[in-house]
Amino acid sequence: MEKLTDEKIKKGLDVLKRDVGSKLLTHVNSCVHCGLCAESCVYYRLKPDEHFVPAKKVDIVSSIYRRYNTLGGKLAPWLTNARKLDEATVEDMVDLLYGSCTMCGRCNKHCSVGVDIEFLIRTGRAMLAEMGYVPETLQKTVDTAINTGNNMGITKDEFVDTLKWLEEDLQFEVDDDNAIIPLDEKGKDIMYTLNPREPKFFPLSISAMAKVFYAAGESWTLSTRMYDVTNYAYFSGNLEEGRVIAQRMEDEMLQLDAKRCILAECGHGSRAFRWEAPNYLEKEMPFDVDTSVELLAEYIREGRIKVDPGKNTEPVTLHDPCNLTRGGGIYEEQRYILKKCVKSFVEMTPSGTDNLCCGGGGGQLSMSEYNERRMGIGKLKAEQITATEAVVVATPCHNCVDQLIQINGAYKLNVKIKTLAEIVADAIILENEEKTKEN
Amino acid sequence: MIWYQWMAIIALLVCLLSCIYHFYKILSLGNPPEYARRAGHIGKAVKYSFTGAMSPKVKESAYMHIPTYVAGIIYHLGTFLAIFVFFLVLFNIWLQSWVMWTAVVMLVAAGLCGVGILIKRMSKHELRTLSSPDDYISNILVTVFQLITAMAMIDIAFVPAYFILVSLLMLYFPVGKLKHAVYFFAARYHLGYFYGWRGVWPPKPIKK
Repeated sequence: MEKLTDEKIKKGLDVLKRDVGSKLLTHVNSCVHCGLCAESCVYYRLKPDEHFVPAKKVDIVSSIYRRYNTLGGKLAPWLTNARKLDEATVEDMVDLLYGSCTMCGRCNKHCSVGVDIEFLIRTGRAMLAEMGYVPETLQKTVDTAINTGNNMGITKDEFVDTLKWLEEDLQFEVDDDNAIIPLDEKGKDIMYTLNPREPKFFPLSISAMAKVFYAAGESWTLSTRMYDVTNYAYFSGNLEEGRVIAQRMEDEMLQLDAKRCILAECGHGSRAFRWEAPNYLEKEMPFDVDTSVELLAEYIREGRIKVDPGKNTEPVTLHDPCNLTRGGGIYEEQRYILKKCVKSFVEMTPSGTDNLCCGGGGGQLSMSEYNERRMGIGKLKAEQITATEAVVVATPCHNCVDQLIQINGAYKLNVKIKTLAEIVADAIILENEEKTKEN
Repeated sequence: MIWYQWMAIIALLVCLLSCIYHFYKILSLGNPPEYARRAGHIGKAVKYSFTGAMSPKVKESAYMHIPTYVAGIIYHLGTFLAIFVFFLVLFNIWLQSWVMWTAVVMLVAAGLCGVGILIKRMSKHELRTLSSPDDYISNILVTVFQLITAMAMIDIAFVPAYFILVSLLMLYFPVGKLKHAVYFFAARYHLGYFYGWRGVWPPKPIKK
């Protein structure tokens, strides 16, 4: 670990002063150390160790607050375990806040008092980011996004090439040479975003969404300059970098003069742009921001696309992404979509806003130093999936898809992992199909 | 009035001033800024935060820990009762015998729950590592407050000790975690506000 200097300490402590509002003041003073939040954490559930109790994570942030911002903490730190911000504390903070938390927010819901534990974790991460203690692997992901425009470092040529062959594929699939994947077109109703994992590893999810847009007759475009829905600075805690990434997306929306920004299936990306970006930029976005999950549900409800559940006959279960569901209030839409598009839908237990994190959130997928823990907590998700006896696991989040694929392999589940767009695309009845049937 | 009664009144004033200060601080800082377009109803979400979201049916911290949850409820009810009795004593209001004995039984039950919670904190490794001296002091002060209230109601000889203990409790209030009596309400409010803005709370029914 890099040496902790006085300047770094000041930067870290300044976060607590800078961000002190009613919310921070409330939550650093509310935990009663009852420890009843323990079981709400996937880390603790897998390994019941005091280290993983969410209250412990709360305490490391609030104890620093007490030490420097309260009279009691300054005069008698021993009384409330008010901690000095020194190297040992920083080491503990890094392990507790980055290495032992997926920021899934499940503990918030189950805290006996109502402490926003996830908010305090983010505050602690912001302190570490200011001091320069973001794990290198996570910082690299943020740096790549800042330097190249997307977190995978995909070049524009590579991106355009991928989309061109996907377009050809789409034309072949829908049997229409006019089916296109529009790029950088101005004045469209929708600018659609992507998780860079899609062009890099899962291009079929792009063609699935393109097929849906085609079937809905949507006016849409993709940007080749800024399409990355993710914002790993939300995980690292670096507000300035978060702001830069959010600003780029807003600028691109304005440049393309699109009416509605549709966020791809990405839990944290949806949260980061829809809910956090306006706070980073301190203004309301001058356009509509919705998730593709809402859009898909809207298309089905309004009859803009027709779907046949008979095309998806295998039993499907749903993994709710934490940031989309618990952090974003989207839980009804994905169920509606699945009930319309698949023959047999089985809920996991627990599910919805109570669902267990898959383990890939909080930036864990990019922090390889915590891989063992990440795959360890994946066991809980594996057990949930197995209990449903489903063959397909649907999830509207590419980070979750990645983690679920790894869980699938590690725990030999033998299931298929799909995004919602893929399931909807499979269920779509195209106009020419209908005509063929009629004839 | 006797010196220990004056002492308790001064301690009460200190405690009240501290509560007012904390409330004022929370209120003066206002709601956290939320610039994203609101997706839900704040009022309904805050109401849900104080009601449905607190239901033991939806909280693992309750339904997975029923004995601790029940003990906690009784303990807190006992604390409110002891505070109520303190004001009765201050204003020299006497209770009917059966009411007094009911209160005594409830206070003893609450005190025993407090002892139980203390034993749990001392005996469970993960709770011990989480605890600071403040956690023990706060628990002991409140538990003894409940028990000595009951004893003073039965036997007048405990009255001086009762007032001294009340004074200690009131003076300790602003120092440690007992402040959660104020911050609990703010925490529930903020949680409701946060989830309400995003349309997470109150929960939406799943449409067919």
